[in-house]
Amino acid sequence: MDVFFQQIVNGLSLGGIYALIALGYTMVYGIIELINFAHGDVYTLGTFFSLAILTGLGVSGELHGPALVLVVLVTLLASMLLCGITGVLIERLAYRRLRNAPRLAPLITAIGISFILENVMQLWRGPSPVPFPDLIPNPAYTIGGVVVTAKQIGVVLLAVAMMAALQVFIYKTKLGKAMRATAQDRDAAQLMGIDINTTIAATFLIGSALAGAAGFVSGVYYGTTWFFNGFEAGLKAFTAAVLGGIGNIAGAMLGGFSIGLIEAIATQYIPGGAQWTNVVVFSVLVLVLIFRPSGLLGESLPEKV
Amino acid sequence: MRAVEGTIRVAAIVAIGCLAACSGGPTTSQSSSNSSQAAPAAATIIKIGIDLPVSGADASTGIPTRNGAVQAIEEADAKGAPAGFTFVAYDLDDAVQGAHDPAQGAQNTRSFVSDDAVLAMIGPFNSSVAQAEIPITNDAGLAQISPSATNPGLTKGPDAAKLRTSHPDVNTFFRVCTTDDRQGAAGAEFAKKLNLHKAFIIDDNETYGKGLADVFEAQFKSLGGTVLGHEHLTKGETDFKALLTKAHALGPDFIYYGGTTSTGGGLLRKQMADAGLGATVFVGGDGISDAEFETVAGDAANGSYYSVAAPEVAKLPTAASFIDAYRKRWNAEVGAYSANGYAAANVEIAAIEKAIAAGGNKMPTRAAVLAAVAATQGQSSPIGPIGFDKDGDTTNPILTIYKIANGKSVFVDQINLKL
Repeated sequence: MDVFFQQIVNGLSLGGIYALIALGYTMVYGIIELINFAHGDVYTLGTFFSLAILTGLGVSGELHGPALVLVVLVTLLASMLLCGITGVLIERLAYRRLRNAPRLAPLITAIGISFILENVMQLWRGPSPVPFPDLIPNPAYTIGGVVVTAKQIGVVLLAVAMMAALQVFIYKTKLGKAMRATAQDRDAAQLMGIDINTTIAATFLIGSALAGAAGFVSGVYYGTTWFFNGFEAGLKAFTAAVLGGIGNIAGAMLGGFSIGLIEAIATQYIPGGAQWTNVVVFSVLVLVLIFRPSGLLGESLPEKV
Repeated sequence: MRAVEGTIRVAAIVAIGCLAACSGGPTTSQSSSNSSQAAPAAATIIKIGIDLPVSGADASTGIPTRNGAVQAIEEADAKGAPAGFTFVAYDLDDAVQGAHDPAQGAQNTRSFVSDDAVLAMIGPFNSSVAQAEIPITNDAGLAQISPSATNPGLTKGPDAAKLRTSHPDVNTFFRVCTTDDRQGAAGAEFAKKLNLHKAFIIDDNETYGKGLADVFEAQFKSLGGTVLGHEHLTKGETDFKALLTKAHALGPDFIYYGGTTSTGGGLLRKQMADAGLGATVFVGGDGISDAEFETVAGDAANGSYYSVAAPEVAKLPTAASFIDAYRKRWNAEVGAYSANGYAAANVEIAAIEKAIAAGGNKMPTRAAVLAAVAATQGQSSPIGPIGFDKDGDTTNPILTIYKIANGKSVFVDQINLKL
């Protein structure tokens, strides 16, 4: 039984990273119905930005006390800001002109942007894996035979906190209301005096900033990265967003954690399971889409953002 | 709303298809460097193709191997190629998006084949790439020597026969390293020597990794060891905690890994501590012999063992002059397969020279060069006398075991394994 709970812990911490990335996918889809395939690469860019900031600060090893809190906050916020700006630029330069084009055009553009980001990162840090400084002490706690590390707790807490903050933002602020209105009917929202361009740019800013946060977290958590990291993670996070009901924020969270858990449990209980995780994940996705075409939480909440 | 759902479905199908078809990622063609130098106008250029992964995660072993081969070609040319000829290295990279790629290897091989000046080629580094290349060299009759591809099925048995598609009775693939049936067996014997009895085996599901792990499993069982499980990694995955938790629950003495650093070996080693396997021994093949392994795994790399399908060149008196020349030329230390690259190139150069002499100082045919390569016996090289059996395998099967201590590889044992 201990092994089962240990796998739940593994699945939740892996799912936390998927969930953070999925939030950005789902926000962008919610507002302009674009599957932003470049999002996974913005996430990797977040790791690279974090690495550059840490190198700039001269951090190469473990930190303690106030220095640790300060460095983590500065790096996390700076990475979020830089990724947010990148997201806004991508929207401004690539997607805005295609807003009224047939739907395939922006989709293919998104894949193109993904290639561009991957190759820029490859030029920047080379095609090899890059080590990420191990800056957070990682004590392990044993609870009833299950080992939980501080980093695993941190990943899950951060993912949940980000989702909660996003929910509050979207349902309690004026800009959030503008986003919901734009998502429902762009033309009507414009007629009501909502600045569509600003609202969509803000969506990209927030979604990409979340990818920046996920990038920092994954760097700290795995201790290494490379330019191509975002492809696989982005695909899984996209799957998470679809599984939970794309456009739905709680759904992205649910989908992310579900996929993390499915992977961990499948690895444990299917003989030779490690090679079957993708098969299991995508089988679940296909089944969910057959019976609930708009995802797990897609229909219960009519509003999307 | 229906249109929206339709888009989601289409996108999901696109995503699944993408994952299945190109799990290595979208392929973009990589520009390849061509290190051929300008030759004197009068001399006929003879090119020797070199196809190795020299960028990305495989570069840390690929580049030293390439350097060894290039050095041999440069030395041969400086020493004086046969009158009227000059040797030039035609050097291509088979890494795409940071890792060795069979399709790119095949494309490089076609480039060599379509260039009439190429009389022989060196490479590839990886067995999966060799599988894609052998049918092409077999069709063209181009001699090919790999410094490091160790999968037994490339030369022997029904697997090898399937690769010789155009000319089933002609072998164009040779290698100066020994094979995984020896490497896996050596790993099993070494593990027993370390008093390790319970193994958990993980491989990367590639030609090399799975082949090595399967041989290890069979040999370890026949030596009386217990195999608790044998799992395969999915390409592109980076989180192995669930798999390692599964392994930990079974209580293994050690983890045997069949695969390369780029396909998950480094991350696997790094994450072992998180799953409670920090004190468990990690044993692998030559796929983790690269410096990249220490970069990715960090401090966790210490205490790992690996085998290399080549002798330890520093221990061989025959290699001293090669190592000196290598240091001077490249301003770097030799890699695990540098001497193999050098030896492979020298075998081809000798064969070409023989073919030139036999053909009355004319540009030899590829068939003549191939015959001369196949007939190679007892040619001296830094890694000992080189010769090939009828399948194209080396007659000099020496393996070395290394341990990583304080971030450096330390020689542990040398095994001459006659099966």
